[in-house]
Amino acid sequence: MIAVAARKYEPCSPAVGSERRVHIIQSEYHVTSDPVVVLTTVLGSCVAACLRDPELKIGGMNHFLLPGQDLEDGSLARNAESFGVHLMEMLVNGLLRQGARRERLVAKLFGGAKMIEGSADIGTRNADFAERFLHHEGISLVGGSLRGTQARRIQYWPCSGRARQSFLRSDQILQQSAAPACEPLSNGSIEFF
Amino acid sequence: MIASALRVLIVDDQLTSRLLIREGLHDLGISNIEWASNGEEGMKVMLAKPAHLIISDLNMPKLDGLGFLRAVRSTEATKKTGFILLTGKGDDKEVIARAAKLGANNVIAKPFTIPMLKAKIEAVVGKLK
Repeated sequence: MIAVAARKYEPCSPAVGSERRVHIIQSEYHVTSDPVVVLTTVLGSCVAACLRDPELKIGGMNHFLLPGQDLEDGSLARNAESFGVHLMEMLVNGLLRQGARRERLVAKLFGGAKMIEGSADIGTRNADFAERFLHHEGISLVGGSLRGTQARRIQYWPCSGRARQSFLRSDQILQQSAAPACEPLSNGSIEFF
Repeated sequence: MIASALRVLIVDDQLTSRLLIREGLHDLGISNIEWASNGEEGMKVMLAKPAHLIISDLNMPKLDGLGFLRAVRSTEATKKTGFILLTGKGDDKEVIARAAKLGANNVIAKPFTIPMLKAKIEAVVGKLK
């Protein structure tokens, strides 16, 4: 018989003003079950994956950019994808180490914008990779906002799974609101549940 | 070592990683490849169809990379198989020491490139032709 320690569940609604912000920069990841933590990042062509075990209320975020631009050379593309796989694996393993179950993981993906017209579409490449990774690993994609042409500021509450996106150029928010199941808020942000 | 004659077993719990390594091996001319998603499965494959070289991840469910390495080295039929362990950067010092003690032939820190993979393989099996 295996003894399993009972986990104390915290509510996901911390008191106003008690939130602690953890900012994730490129090539970083962070996993937490702390209900007061909100993970934040700013994305251009980079992608952030927000993964979560809804049952344990543990979640995390990474922020990656596949290096290199040569899409035609398969070997170089694989070198680049190794960086993305590594960052995704760090996030998944970080969640599993805290007790999350792989089969319960759900994901939201953000970013992958084409930031410079006429240049190689690095953003789409990052977005495609992230979606392919989730598909291969059997992790459900439950929301998010990928591609487009604008930078995004993301806030993610791992405990509840709530996410908020703000396009950095507020005058273009409405024409960019192709994200699923979300409505613009009065402050120009979009909420993802 | 003639690449096309080399039989390799990839053991990793992430399909994306297995695909990436397999494609990297194809780039090096290695096409005789089996894979498994954890050490337990890897051991079954090794006993059924022994490989010349194992490339195994560290963090896996059921039987992790070090447990798998221990099993490979303690089984008569598999104990001489080349073994390369894949690790995340953060694990390096302690894991490398433990892997060396258990008889790993080499360690690859992730993320890796195809030239890095080639160099590590050649250090174990000799220059690929």
